[in-house]
Amino acid sequence: MTDSTTTDETTNDTTTGGSVLWVARPMATAARQFAKSLFRPSTIVYPYERLEDPKFREKVEVASGKPIGVGQIWDNYRGVHALNIATCISCNLCAFSCPDICIDMVTVPGGDPKHPKKCPQIDYGKCSFCGFCSDACPEGCLTMTTRYGLTTSKRAEMVYSPQRLYDVYRTKLPMNPIRLARPENEDSILLDPPLCIGCNACARDCPTQCITMLDVPKPEAKPGEKLPKRIWKEPVVNDSDCVRCGTCISVCPKECLFWGTRK
Amino acid sequence: MSEMWLNMGPQHPMTHGLWNLRVHIDGEVIRDVDPEMGYLHRGIEKLSEDRHYNEVVTLMDRTCYVAGLAWEHLYILASEEALHIAPPERAQYLRVLCEEFQRIASHLMWYAAFVQDIGLMTPFLYGMRDRDLILDLFQSYTGARMTYEYMRVGGVRNDVPPGFTDRARQVLDWLEPRFVEYDQLTLGSDIFHKRCDNLGVLRANDCVTQGVTGPMLRSAGLKRDLRKDRPYAVYDQLDFEVALADTADVTGRYLVRLEEMRQSVRILRQVLDWLDRHPGPVMASQLPRWLGAPYAPVGREGYLLKRNYPKGVGFSAVEEPHGEALAYVVNEGGEHPYRVKFRSPVYANIAAARHYLVGYRVADIPPIMGSVDICVGEVDR
Repeated sequence: MTDSTTTDETTNDTTTGGSVLWVARPMATAARQFAKSLFRPSTIVYPYERLEDPKFREKVEVASGKPIGVGQIWDNYRGVHALNIATCISCNLCAFSCPDICIDMVTVPGGDPKHPKKCPQIDYGKCSFCGFCSDACPEGCLTMTTRYGLTTSKRAEMVYSPQRLYDVYRTKLPMNPIRLARPENEDSILLDPPLCIGCNACARDCPTQCITMLDVPKPEAKPGEKLPKRIWKEPVVNDSDCVRCGTCISVCPKECLFWGTRK
Repeated sequence: MSEMWLNMGPQHPMTHGLWNLRVHIDGEVIRDVDPEMGYLHRGIEKLSEDRHYNEVVTLMDRTCYVAGLAWEHLYILASEEALHIAPPERAQYLRVLCEEFQRIASHLMWYAAFVQDIGLMTPFLYGMRDRDLILDLFQSYTGARMTYEYMRVGGVRNDVPPGFTDRARQVLDWLEPRFVEYDQLTLGSDIFHKRCDNLGVLRANDCVTQGVTGPMLRSAGLKRDLRKDRPYAVYDQLDFEVALADTADVTGRYLVRLEEMRQSVRILRQVLDWLDRHPGPVMASQLPRWLGAPYAPVGREGYLLKRNYPKGVGFSAVEEPHGEALAYVVNEGGEHPYRVKFRSPVYANIAAARHYLVGYRVADIPPIMGSVDICVGEVDR
């Protein structure tokens, strides 16, 4: 009986036996399971024992028995975020990639007063824990940890400021180890030279400082023609350092930067 | 005065979600039923039109919360066809791995809920316990237990970690003897047969006219399984049988689902062997850059239209744990799908309630509706 795996055999066997034994057979099975569970429970006492604690993780792994080897929280669990403020470059990619629009970039102390440093603030009331933000983070400073308890009695406490996310980071919980490879044929930031006025806004706001302003020769004005009023410099983007955040495009006053394939 | 309309739901243990079954009863006998759905409508199809192709995946997990990966697979197949992208073979095998594990997990969830409907509390705990092992496996490579967000247009998010296939085999080794135990707990009990035999009979021709699919259709003896009849992903390279029963009643559906779990184990062993032998990329190379959802957020509006990215229409059909789910995605050249449409199998299965409930008694409704395997999330979308 226990060896039979096909439906037909099992059905025939148990139905014929069932009418005679009534419920004795299922009760015997349940009693066997009960006896096993006395020595090898499948559960933990949740609020007091938590899976992210390595101590209990080990206990569960042992308790669930060697044939399983599961019953733990793996490091790639997508729980509460951890933010390393020191390495954040304020590129906005986490906020842009969020499907639920739950990430705000808020000012944190430490930047220069003219261009303050901005770090993500996450509203866990909206967050769906999809992990797109940590996948998008080019510096690896926004990751997800194995922490999952978010219970609170105040709605405002669901909003995690950069400082609170940094506190999570400092607890040294296991972080999501998966780093996605960047797409192979990423487009570059290209310039439409006649439109550029050399205002330096893109180079100033570039989070990775990969834009340098190079001099361009000032053309000779022909008689009767007026040269455009501009600074004779043009941005040059270093593609290997660029994280493709698009900040330069968004700050450009003349809309002269665009995405394209570099020839 | 013995005739009356009775509302079972929207909050009733029988409904397994938010919907209302209006029952016209004459004493104890059901004369007519009127299922009312729509309590859980979230506008997922409309929301999809405002999201990037990859961001829609986050909605798919919420469409059916017990079979999220099957619905991700459904959507991704359709959008890849619409976007003219071919995923690498390893990604396809990983998707089949996801879908079959999800099928077992979904059927175990159904088993747990169904036996509780007919009053057996102990097997409920065993079903949930064994489902948890699969959720643990999911978590070890997708990063979540329920809302996976694992599949991407052009592949999957990440490969399985080292040692995963061995752990998965251990779980399968654990599960197979459990199926025998499930049969002992239910089929071995006279109570089960007294409550389930010859109940909710829906013959094959009624199934076809009412659009009823999945285990309900196969329990009526009709050999119809999209994995065989219209193979998608790599199902044509895998060896398995279609689970069948001929009683067309609640017991038949039980037998079909139990047999499907065994067949899923059989498929999974082949998939795990393949994954061991064939390492490789899990993401299509040379994807259009904007498909990696996070990149280049500014200035991407109208990017594809400027580039004349080819338009297209995608259609996919997936044998989801509950039945045949269809998806239709229209790519009009923008970054978002122009239109997304889904066909939910459970919607049709519930809508046909009149054909398998009338004539039975009120106390028969929980086992009959339990055998339908209802997931209201995908009914209302």
